[in-house]
Amino acid sequence: MNIDYDCEHMEELLSPYLENELDAQQKQAVYEHLQACPDCSQLLTCMQETREALADFPEVELSPELLDQLQVMPKKRKWMKLRPSLDFFLRPSLQPVLAAITIFLTLLSFYLFHPHRSQINKSVNRTLHMGYSKIERLYAKAESFTSSLAGHKDSILVSLKNLDLLGGDED
Amino acid sequence: MLVNAYAKKIFNLAYQFSGSYEAAQDLSQDIFLKLHNSLPKYDFSKNFTAWLLTLSRNYLIDHYRKTKWEKQSRDEFNEHLLPSDSLSGPEQILQKQETKRFVWEGFNGLSSEIRMAVILRDIQGKKYEEIAEIMSLPLGTVKSRVNRGRLQLAKILKDKKEKSHEHRL
Repeated sequence: MNIDYDCEHMEELLSPYLENELDAQQKQAVYEHLQACPDCSQLLTCMQETREALADFPEVELSPELLDQLQVMPKKRKWMKLRPSLDFFLRPSLQPVLAAITIFLTLLSFYLFHPHRSQINKSVNRTLHMGYSKIERLYAKAESFTSSLAGHKDSILVSLKNLDLLGGDED
Repeated sequence: MLVNAYAKKIFNLAYQFSGSYEAAQDLSQDIFLKLHNSLPKYDFSKNFTAWLLTLSRNYLIDHYRKTKWEKQSRDEFNEHLLPSDSLSGPEQILQKQETKRFVWEGFNGLSSEIRMAVILRDIQGKKYEEIAEIMSLPLGTVKSRVNRGRLQLAKILKDKKEKSHEHRL
């Protein structure tokens, strides 16, 4: 039985025809169509040229820089594994907090490992005590000042009203 | 050792697929990084080259879909793609160069899956069975994709040749 292919069907058969994957009957039918159809024949030539052009694309050489970069990649990978945790600590918003923690830890270590720690304790106690008593005195002074201010309240208000600056005489 | 054995293969696949020397350099690095991360998952009963090519193919196609390379143009046809044979005459060399240029530019018109199938079959000379394994596709689908790719490229070549011929007249 003779097979008669149309041009649309031929498009599917050109590639297997070039690769010799058709059976004898199909091959003969494709051959006969190609003899009669210049369009399909030209398409087959172009497909053959395409295949030859593709097969002739040479292998491109890598640049030495890329080769070097690829060689160091395993080391880079170890570094990248640590990166998520490091990224957290490298965030700019965290820098003042980290600086404060560093200062605090330096002072703490200075205090904890100082050979005369008891003297430092005494000195700190004394300073704190003196500071506390100063605050107490200041508070007492402030209390006496407010009570004396209450006694002169009326005379102060009158003198303020009479001041030109506050417009006391305008009424 | 892994780099010495496979860098050129991976770089060439990336270059042929993307069409850009610069992009291929970045893509090769990404693929090798992915390879280092995926090595613990490698099944030793499998063919390593096929496994690596599958990994590369997946990465290239994913990256292509994300970045839409089809909107970018391929590198100008350049010295990397000159014909390797010096036995042909000057006219034949020029003709081959022109055909190569048309085919090279025509790659941009192929979809990522078809482009990959054509590269593996016609540039890298792999068997259909190997491509089916690399692309995780049935043999018939691979053959169909290669045929479609060749047909598209042949039509582009035919069209460009006709236009070029008309221009000369």
